[in-house]
Amino acid sequence: MHQQAELVVVGGGPGGLEAALSAASLGVQVSLLDAGRRPGGQYFYQPPSCIAPYATRRQRKGAKLWDQVRQAGVRIQSETLVWDLVTSGSEKKLYCYDPQGSFVLKARAVILATGAYERPAAFPGWTLPGVLLTGGAQTLLYQGVLPGKKVLLVGTGPLQLVVAKKLLDAGAQVVAVLEGCSTSKLVSKGLSQIGALWGQWERLAEGAGSLATLVRRGVPYRAGWGILAAHGTREVEGATIAKLDSDWRLIPGSEQEVACDTVCIGYGLIPFNTLSKLAGAEQAWRQELGGEVPVRSETLETSVASVYAVGDGAEIGGAHLSRLEGRMAGLVVAARLEHGKDVVQETMAKLIPALRHERRFQRLYEELFTPGPGIYTLAQEDTLICRCEGVTKEKLSRAVENGVGTFVEAKDATRCGMGECQGRMCGHQVAQFIARSTGKTVDEVGLFHARPPVFPLPIGTLAQVEEE
Amino acid sequence: MRIAKRLITEEAITITVDGKPYSAYPGDTVASAIYATGKRAWHRSRSNEARGLFCGMGVCYDCLVTVDGVDNLRACQTLVRAGMTVTTNLESETL
Repeated sequence: MHQQAELVVVGGGPGGLEAALSAASLGVQVSLLDAGRRPGGQYFYQPPSCIAPYATRRQRKGAKLWDQVRQAGVRIQSETLVWDLVTSGSEKKLYCYDPQGSFVLKARAVILATGAYERPAAFPGWTLPGVLLTGGAQTLLYQGVLPGKKVLLVGTGPLQLVVAKKLLDAGAQVVAVLEGCSTSKLVSKGLSQIGALWGQWERLAEGAGSLATLVRRGVPYRAGWGILAAHGTREVEGATIAKLDSDWRLIPGSEQEVACDTVCIGYGLIPFNTLSKLAGAEQAWRQELGGEVPVRSETLETSVASVYAVGDGAEIGGAHLSRLEGRMAGLVVAARLEHGKDVVQETMAKLIPALRHERRFQRLYEELFTPGPGIYTLAQEDTLICRCEGVTKEKLSRAVENGVGTFVEAKDATRCGMGECQGRMCGHQVAQFIARSTGKTVDEVGLFHARPPVFPLPIGTLAQVEEE
Repeated sequence: MRIAKRLITEEAITITVDGKPYSAYPGDTVASAIYATGKRAWHRSRSNEARGLFCGMGVCYDCLVTVDGVDNLRACQTLVRAGMTVTTNLESETL
């Protein structure tokens, strides 16, 4: 079965919704593909209907945006994964998989709004049940379930504060919130770039409100602290924490033990760039933007003509930036396809200053909340780096001693990155480890090659499409 | 554990996990339904460790289960249905 659209938007989070809306409003025929069961992505995560009366303001906003998208005439396909993206002539072919099976979607332009996933970093005990990524803990809370009773949050950025407050509200005890960035840096950078914060009231209020609740409830917020290890026999029973230096390396002698049954780790996000990579778009290593990201023009086009990338899947910048970029890419595509010519210029003129201001905020955020290299130095010899294939740091060290110098070589030598997650959990960690051990840059070590299918698919799915 | 303050507006349904009945609500994922009982590990990794929810968004594949005979489904991405049969590859005694 082949389907067609003028524009295909991949991803139904803030960036994808805005992209679809802005293009469709100008008359472009748009298909929006989303992996989720419900619209919104992670940012506008929609709670189950049975507890929907308790939807947050943000969730209601997301539902409203989705409604607008639908009313604009966008064809919305939920529970749909895109597992390959190829260019043939002026046409883009998207290989998709939904509950009914595989199909191919052809388009004249593609906007990738694939979002990001959380950045894990191994430490002894990080595979124990009870250690979760912070966003995963938040999703559980949205589903009406407590991730644990006594929770330690470790990592960086405002999400930690927001989730800590939600945990308190839900009845959990929060042992502490550890922020990797030091207090002095938070204060000095924040004050020196106060202009970047101007107009960000809603965001600042959410962070400040959460912090105020934590302080009032006596939860310690420790800036310049991190985790050393989680302990427990069957599940988490406690953790060792310590002070960090400016590279986020542990300061010996500052260790403390805390009792907890749950550890949430939130070191920020990694862009999901696999589809742009697969399409052949040039990538660059930009640590502060989340790692490997597609190189984009001012109009958000990748090096592959008519393939655009917006939002956290292109560089980590948060939901507001994603929405602005989505709107812009939608306009650009509309203009390209000769729709709504009279209004594109005018709308664009309004968008550009808003984008510029949002990027100032993005840069401040990066300076404060990009984890230092220390987070990649916590694993001990027997700590797993690759969770799927069970590859320890020791095994990786041995591979490096035997001459392994790139991620791809490490994969061949140890099987790291060959499991179901396709290297999404271990990729950055392995690359950082090899870079550190060999004196190369992460760019030189490289990450995994993108190969279709980019998600594990049931056997037979690929054959089904080939036959057509 | 369910959050006490969240009023649930729909009737509970029953799913079976490793032969035992579990109570769940429409909109639960298999992972949230298992977590709600206090059980936090249900998948045995290749390295023979007990795993459960880690990323919670379908990326890490640590929460794999078999549902009605279909292998390797992510518990965090699979919605519950009344009468669903979930089997795991982890029996805590054998670890």
